[in-house]
Amino acid sequence: MQEIIIGIGVTALAGALAAVAGAAEDTESNIGSQGDPNSQVQLAPQMGYTHRIYNKAVSGEPPAYTLWVTLACGVAWAFLMMGMNAILAIVLGTVLATIVQGVYATTAYLGRTASLSKFGQPVFTDVLKSVTTVTMGHAFVAIFTTVVICYLLATVIGHPFSLPLLGIVWGLALGAAGSATGNPYYGKERQYQNQKFGAGVPISASGNIVRYAEAGQRSSIDNGFFTAKFGGPASGLCFGLIVFFELWRTVLFEHYLAGWGAVIAGAVIIIIFMVIDRYVEKWARENYGPYTEA
Amino acid sequence: MSVKVEASHGGIPHGKIAAAGIIIALVSLYIAVIGHEVLGFDYFAFFGGIAAIGALIWGNSAIKRLCSYGIGAGVPSAGMLAFGSGLFGMFLGIAIGAMTSVWIIPVAVLVIALITGVILGWIANTVLNMKIPVMIQSLAELAAVGALTTLGLRTVAIGGLELEAGFVFVAVGFIAVAFMLGAIALQHPFNACLGPGETQDRTNMLVIECGFLSMIIMAVISFVAVSAVAGWISLVIAIIGWAVSYKKYIALSKRDAAAWLDAKPFVDAEEE
Repeated sequence: MQEIIIGIGVTALAGALAAVAGAAEDTESNIGSQGDPNSQVQLAPQMGYTHRIYNKAVSGEPPAYTLWVTLACGVAWAFLMMGMNAILAIVLGTVLATIVQGVYATTAYLGRTASLSKFGQPVFTDVLKSVTTVTMGHAFVAIFTTVVICYLLATVIGHPFSLPLLGIVWGLALGAAGSATGNPYYGKERQYQNQKFGAGVPISASGNIVRYAEAGQRSSIDNGFFTAKFGGPASGLCFGLIVFFELWRTVLFEHYLAGWGAVIAGAVIIIIFMVIDRYVEKWARENYGPYTEA
Repeated sequence: MSVKVEASHGGIPHGKIAAAGIIIALVSLYIAVIGHEVLGFDYFAFFGGIAAIGALIWGNSAIKRLCSYGIGAGVPSAGMLAFGSGLFGMFLGIAIGAMTSVWIIPVAVLVIALITGVILGWIANTVLNMKIPVMIQSLAELAAVGALTTLGLRTVAIGGLELEAGFVFVAVGFIAVAFMLGAIALQHPFNACLGPGETQDRTNMLVIECGFLSMIIMAVISFVAVSAVAGWISLVIAIIGWAVSYKKYIALSKRDAAAWLDAKPFVDAEEE
């Protein structure tokens, strides 16, 4: 019984940490401009639209976050093996991962922008200095919370995987959740506020992203400021629910049917969510779209 | 059948870069073996990192060649594929080394990974019907790059190439860190420098930078398994190498950029 109560406590804590991680991850990737919306940022100068948006083309968010989280887990695990205090080890691992993230971000921005020289897109060193540090700050929050989740799984729950392997699994899940949930809000909404709502992105508008802000020229930090209100929390909710349900079904049902109880519970949760998703999609289409002629 | 689009013109041909990469990787690995087997210390662990950089230079050129066939979005995937297929060669090569001699490991890993890649390339071209002319050769090269890079980073972490020394590497999961570090370091340089203004020397400098950056992390982790002196040697060399290459990369970016502005607005074409 005590085991289950501790398990439920860890489940709740991990779910809350995951919500923070998801929100920070999405905001980080939007400020840095990573993932599929970045293709428009990359395209804009080629269509004649010079801009001051960051261009963090490291890779898709899932592989990138797999690296940051795995790296933090691996370094933390190494420090733990050397007898360091757990919190200090996790913080040091996260700091190293954040530095690596920052270095990759700067090299991606410099590389992509320099390769666009033909189209007159300049490198803005003030963008490099101000935006990189903001993405690093958000990345620290996202990585730290995810590593703590992995650490709880490895030590309290007694997961058979070692910490770096858990880092691969949950880093990938974090990047995927942030990419799938948060990116449409940045890519389809924020970048194309100059288009009619619900119009999608017509071919003729490709690369014509919004480049001016309320005052002056838009910076990537303005994008983070905007998406942090909806895209970020939605991603946090998504990743939080993933972690929560994953742990909840394991803690409660793994003792039934020699472990198959947890598998069946997982399948039932997926089916319930499919029904909810279908209902929400139908409701949204009936109320908001498809876009009709005015 | 895909159409070939050149990523960047001119520069050193792929064959020369590949040859240089293989030689750097194999020689460095054998220096690490000499240090461990003949001289009996693990201070040469950092040569594993140099081997990884050599392999990454080769791999970057191979990715560039493969991706000139219009699979731009597949650059990060190519990195993952390289390391996924390369791990098989690495494990089997090390296992063969355990049965025979540690001196065989670098060459065995290279050969087995090349064979794995050829099989995967054949499947991609005939079974999946991709029909990309350089597919078989490129996947073979990428698998070998993945195997050599993981082997190199593993050497940094544990100080030698033997099977026994590597148990901590696999059991504790440090191999996951090496896998991700290598896979992102392999795909990042070409992915980051992608575009009409890509230049070979800038991209290659970024490969070296990514290699040293990965080596820094493996050097930090290596303190678990190697002697403190060896760990510090690896760490200091990695940090110096990274700082120099990062600085050079920024200088090359400044050279290639259209303009280098600090706190100035952009000027629109219509406004001019």
